[in-house]
Amino acid sequence: MTAVETPPRSGDPAGTVRALLFLSLLGTLLWLAAIFLAPGLESRGSSRSAGFLYALFSPTCHQIPERCFSLRGYPLAVCGRCLGVYLGFLGGLLAYPFARGFSRLELPRARTFLLFSVPIGVDGLAGILGLWASPIGLRLATGSLWGTILPFYFITGVAELVVSRKARARARLSPGARQAVKTAVEKPPAKSVE
Amino acid sequence: MDQRKPEYLTPALVAGAASGVLSGIPLVNCLCCLWIIGGAALAARMLAARTDGGLTAGDGAIVGALTGIVATLVRAIMEIPFRSLNLEFARRLMEWTTQFADDMPSGWDGLLDRGAGSSPGLFFLGLFLTAAVFAALGVLGGVIGVSLFGRKRVPPPPPRPETGPPHAV
Repeated sequence: MTAVETPPRSGDPAGTVRALLFLSLLGTLLWLAAIFLAPGLESRGSSRSAGFLYALFSPTCHQIPERCFSLRGYPLAVCGRCLGVYLGFLGGLLAYPFARGFSRLELPRARTFLLFSVPIGVDGLAGILGLWASPIGLRLATGSLWGTILPFYFITGVAELVVSRKARARARLSPGARQAVKTAVEKPPAKSVE
Repeated sequence: MDQRKPEYLTPALVAGAASGVLSGIPLVNCLCCLWIIGGAALAARMLAARTDGGLTAGDGAIVGALTGIVATLVRAIMEIPFRSLNLEFARRLMEWTTQFADDMPSGWDGLLDRGAGSSPGLFFLGLFLTAAVFAALGVLGGVIGVSLFGRKRVPPPPPRPETGPPHAV
């Protein structure tokens, strides 16, 4: 299996990739802050705000307290594995410019993805089948490994989408196209034959 | 080259409905975000099967985001009958867990009661935020799906051997 290379697009995607990386970093940091903020608020007695944060994360995580790290006696808003995925995502975002640069839009090879996915897959499947109950540290580690590869898909996918949309918009407004539109608009309507 | 726009909606509706249902059923929903990422990857696979020519990562991002939004809506509907069942299941699981674990975080029993009653405003805010998160997860799944299942651009067919007489000089 080979890497899926996105078709060449007109224009340099560096600016788009930079902006996306910055926004993703900001979003991930806020997301992680909210995970740690929930038990912090709970310990200070702000149950309503903490409850909102716990509820915010509930669609994406089972939040079983036994599988969550705790802070000040209260569980974090996500389980150890999800926390690992988000921390790994942050690490992947930081590594992205060094691994890919800003101008190359290329998805990882399928075998790379499978390599990063095997540990979390085996650990998760064994847990579901009841073969073993992995410690929370292992869950964090396998989640982190998997999370590291994800930004290479997210940034590439969204950047490719934005760059192609921009290129399409530019093509629509290119001088040739504009001239054609202008000519069509300024052309007097054909007189009907009497 | 085929210039037809891929048909995003049908794969997103089918895969989004499936992942929304699975992420809303008690016990099955323990797989966290996997259902959304997996559903979006499935949507990308369906899109690849329906589209002539290759898919780009951007196509995966679009179909994945749509899948995430559909899954949000389906999950919200699924939650209505399963809400009390979910709470009951979580409570029993906690009671069972405390028999084996001594270091349970304090206040865990109070956590279960959260969200049992909420205003419509909070519900829609939660729905909006969930849609945003699911759309982002869907983008991930869609791009991964294109990477794994997306077909390469079909090369042009080889020229047919000429059967007619050569040009007269």
